[in-house]
Amino acid sequence: MATLKQPYGLSPRVERLRSWYFEGADRGWNNEYSAWTTGTPWDSQFNEITYYIVPEVYALIGAMASSYRLSARPVKLADGFWTLSLPERRAWFVKEVMTKHLPRDFLPGDLLCGARFNIQTSLCFTQKEAKEFDRLVRGKNGARAAAIGFHNHGYGNAGATSGHLVPGYQRVLEIGWKGVHAELEARYAQLSEAERKGPKGCQVRAMTTSATMARDLAAAYAEDARVLATKAGSTPRAAELRAMAQVLDRVPWEPPRDFHEAIQSLWLTHMLVMADENYPGPGVSFGRVDQYLLPYWEASKAKGMTRAEAKDILGCLWFHCNTAYDAQIRTGNNGITAGFGQLITLSGLGPDSKDMTNDLTMLFLEVIDEMSPILEPKPNVRLHRGTSEALLDKVVDMIEGSQGAPFLLNFDERSMAGMMREGKEGGIGRLIHKDNVHDYAPVGCLENTMVGNDRSGTVDCNLNLLKAVELALTGGKDLLPFTDAMSGVTEEIAQAGPATGDARDFTGWEGFWAAFEAQVAYIVRAIVGLYEKSESIRAGFFPTPYLSCLVKGCAESGRDVTQGGAQIGFVTVEAVTYATAVDSLLAIKHLVFDQHDCTMEELMDALKANWKGHEALRARALNKAPKYGRDDDEADAMAKAVMDLWCAQTWKHRTTSTGRQFRPGMLSWNYWAGDGYIMAASANGRERGQFLSNAICPSNGADTNGPTSNSNSVGKVLGGRSADKGDYGDYLNCLPNGASHTITFNPSMLRDGEHRAKFKAFLRGYAQNGGTALQVNMLDPGMLRDAQARPQEYRHLLVRVTGYNAYFTGIGRELQDEVIARVSHGRF
Amino acid sequence: MDVSSPPVSLEEGLVLQIQRMSTEDGPGLRSTAFLKACPLSCAWCHNPEGISAKPEVEWTAGNCIAAGTKDGCGACVAACPSRALARDPSGALRVDRRACAAAQDKGDCRLCAAACPAGAVQVLGTRYSASRLADELAKDSSWFSGSDRGGVTLSGGEASAQPAFARETLRLLKGRGIHTALDTCGVASWENLCSLYPYVDLLLWDLKESDSALHARFTGLGNERILENLKRTADWMGSHSYPRAMWIRTPVVPRATDREDNLLAIGKAIARIAVPRLERWELCAFNNLCAEKYRRLDKEWEYATSPLMKAQDMDRLLEAGKRGLDTGAWTGAQAPSVAWTGSTGPGTGRKEA
Repeated sequence: MATLKQPYGLSPRVERLRSWYFEGADRGWNNEYSAWTTGTPWDSQFNEITYYIVPEVYALIGAMASSYRLSARPVKLADGFWTLSLPERRAWFVKEVMTKHLPRDFLPGDLLCGARFNIQTSLCFTQKEAKEFDRLVRGKNGARAAAIGFHNHGYGNAGATSGHLVPGYQRVLEIGWKGVHAELEARYAQLSEAERKGPKGCQVRAMTTSATMARDLAAAYAEDARVLATKAGSTPRAAELRAMAQVLDRVPWEPPRDFHEAIQSLWLTHMLVMADENYPGPGVSFGRVDQYLLPYWEASKAKGMTRAEAKDILGCLWFHCNTAYDAQIRTGNNGITAGFGQLITLSGLGPDSKDMTNDLTMLFLEVIDEMSPILEPKPNVRLHRGTSEALLDKVVDMIEGSQGAPFLLNFDERSMAGMMREGKEGGIGRLIHKDNVHDYAPVGCLENTMVGNDRSGTVDCNLNLLKAVELALTGGKDLLPFTDAMSGVTEEIAQAGPATGDARDFTGWEGFWAAFEAQVAYIVRAIVGLYEKSESIRAGFFPTPYLSCLVKGCAESGRDVTQGGAQIGFVTVEAVTYATAVDSLLAIKHLVFDQHDCTMEELMDALKANWKGHEALRARALNKAPKYGRDDDEADAMAKAVMDLWCAQTWKHRTTSTGRQFRPGMLSWNYWAGDGYIMAASANGRERGQFLSNAICPSNGADTNGPTSNSNSVGKVLGGRSADKGDYGDYLNCLPNGASHTITFNPSMLRDGEHRAKFKAFLRGYAQNGGTALQVNMLDPGMLRDAQARPQEYRHLLVRVTGYNAYFTGIGRELQDEVIARVSHGRF
Repeated sequence: MDVSSPPVSLEEGLVLQIQRMSTEDGPGLRSTAFLKACPLSCAWCHNPEGISAKPEVEWTAGNCIAAGTKDGCGACVAACPSRALARDPSGALRVDRRACAAAQDKGDCRLCAAACPAGAVQVLGTRYSASRLADELAKDSSWFSGSDRGGVTLSGGEASAQPAFARETLRLLKGRGIHTALDTCGVASWENLCSLYPYVDLLLWDLKESDSALHARFTGLGNERILENLKRTADWMGSHSYPRAMWIRTPVVPRATDREDNLLAIGKAIARIAVPRLERWELCAFNNLCAEKYRRLDKEWEYATSPLMKAQDMDRLLEAGKRGLDTGAWTGAQAPSVAWTGSTGPGTGRKEA
């Protein structure tokens, strides 16, 4: 049995902070939400729209909102507060809470200031705004009812949620908040009188207020540090506190000069994004830290800083990132979800196809390895065809020592081809081109975006492609009526999609495919329409002026990032159930039209009966119909046709309220598990209640030809490579967002030097022929079963479930069984 | 069987299985094709379904939708024109192997497998043309290039038992610049064997047992021809650039080949024959994962309950083998590296090597 990964080599300071963190609710201190109110009777804090993509909390939304409202503490408002515009009110309120009300705690041995940041601040509505917001959200045709209805009927989910971008941290390091603030003032000075009175002026004034928040918070922390230092007398801690105060005297207002100042500046700037959005760590990502922090590390190294000292500072940063999970600490060990994702990106290509691995890359990897297992920040290592042996060796070492690779692997050539494609499709070739595409970085889990000027709503729309197969069978209706679990009321089946005809009347495959095409166009329109509801509400009611300071385009346009102010602002539709949909189409074609194993009527009866009484037909669908993911060119051609179809439909749409174009991606978070209970049985042999396929992965158990053929299929459906038509070199990638791909290996794959070299060859081959991102699991089924039996001894066992790490013992029995079934491709 | 007569035509061969991303059949990442038919029938064989030159029926209870039920689905039984299939009272499928084999002689029959909805009944052995096989094996080309000499291995069974098919497949693969390995037991007519050599980068050669009488007892044939072919291969490699290299492999099987005198003698034989460009000698620890395959073929397997080798025994046998190698002069040739591989049993202090 493999041994559980343990942290090692930590300094006493970091060791103490790390183990203290894992004490969880017993810690005595935590960073749970505190709520703050303007004191009006109509006030509220919770913006439920950000949770529409988390269906498991739909039932709790009302309770969450009222618990924040009931616990909210009043903030004394400045004179004239109610004469301000909404963004200005919000900017003032968040700053007031952060700099004057929220406790400023110093944690044991911590070298970084900025402990509490999880807040639920007043939405700062006037009574009129509150009423309108309430109508739009909770009214009869409001956003909430639409989101829940969409999900109930198996289409997926959508909602304008927070984070999921790389803010312009590098710019703050280069010019300080002082520079950001000065630019805003200069821009305001250039506005005409009319503009100043209009929304543009309000927005720039709000951002100007927000641009001083970090400065004032740092000053307050510095003062506290000096008071504490005096109390600490002549202890070593007193010297540390004085040094921290000195750091805060400078940053984040001024540009940092060394590593400690840079990390302190970065942390305060970052944590305030989470405060501004009232949401901890939802994919608010750091980008290429080993690149933009390198000058500061080199400066400190030249002044004599050791690696151990740098790791001490980074260990504190790691601790702080994890306290995001304290937000809802009373609901369980990790709060409500392990799905945050403050991503850091390491290595990758630079200009002229140069590999950018440096000393800091290796330092970060050492910290990750020594701290692991731990959830945040989530590392993503960028590999490419020319990645050095040294980096690959380190990557393989770390995979070997952990249960799941403690990072995601992103593959540059394929990813960059997708970003280039996005530049073309979006008509923004001036913003994404061959000379800057290497600057891209993933956010959240693996969603590729540009940096500092891009918010592409990477988790906002999650669409079940399988629904279009169901609608093609029925001519645009649900196959089974929906019954509300709470009320027991069964809805009548209604015509939802286009009436493409009764599939029982189709005489050939072409007829069925035409119906499927029409239904795909419909479900894409449906999710675009649903998304518009929450996007327009957010644009009108939930400004984030602080974050807008960090996104290029917002100051220039005078529009908040929530109003489409970013230079690059796509909305990503993440297709879920891709392989299940493809395999279902393959099964329909095979069983009904090619082999005549059954009629369409028999197949539909079987699906309605959840295959009961149709076991032989189900076995045939499972075992005899072709499947995507085996490098079978015929099956993969169907997969490619589905890919081309849904991508083309997605590119056609824009949001009305904010003008953001939709782009395609594949990330399934945990929906492929939960929605398996909602969606009817599918023609690929899946019963209702069985899981759907995950992101771009083949259906569970379908990849019978092993990891290389599985990866070949993935590379193929993304577009493969084409000597004359490639978007980056000869690479093509139709999913600019990227696609989540998980492969599980048995640890024996790395049993000796020779096999480790073979595993490295696998990674090199993946750069040639695979997808955009790979998550490697190295799991021993024996260990997993033991973890099921004795969860208390495996609290730290991390597994990758889809685009995120989760603790194995916390993912629920069904998903645990699923992970075990996947280990070594079921061969154990 | 007569190994000199190919069981099928030049264009077509009978393939048991293709394994992609194999890490155990030569260097790097490989695609391995296991060809049906073997002149030996080793008692410990871990691919027992590769021995027969004919397609064979296999039933996997776990996949059968009717296993253990009273009535069952019956599709396979009904489909068999030779009445070779029946369900016993326990619900298990019984195969009349002789009736099935007789039917296979008249041309491949796979009606039962086609009828089975669940893939529980399979007919092992698929006809491939050399070009279709080469296409399939070349699909992982991108993965071969990322590793040291990754490529394709023809294994079996005994690949040289279908010499024309193997030769054509290897030729097509070499034409695409793919590294090729041939895994052979060494029992073949010299003409057939050396006809493959121009298209082989790496020869994987088995030396199982030094005592010919024991060899015959374990495998059905003595070892004379294997040693003679190895000697002729050494001479061939001395005057040809292909095969570019050789690895010798010895299965270490409990209560059979796991004797110090055997390893010592094999080591001496290797030293005596001194194949040029012999890179390594691997001692492969006995593996029991194939027990289920014997059950599915209705075959008794005397090793079904044999324990895995112990690591200290593998170490000891490795030392014996090295002493044998040390008897060689190794003039003009380098002594191979030697190591043992595979899983070993408990109480060894080592999990795997």
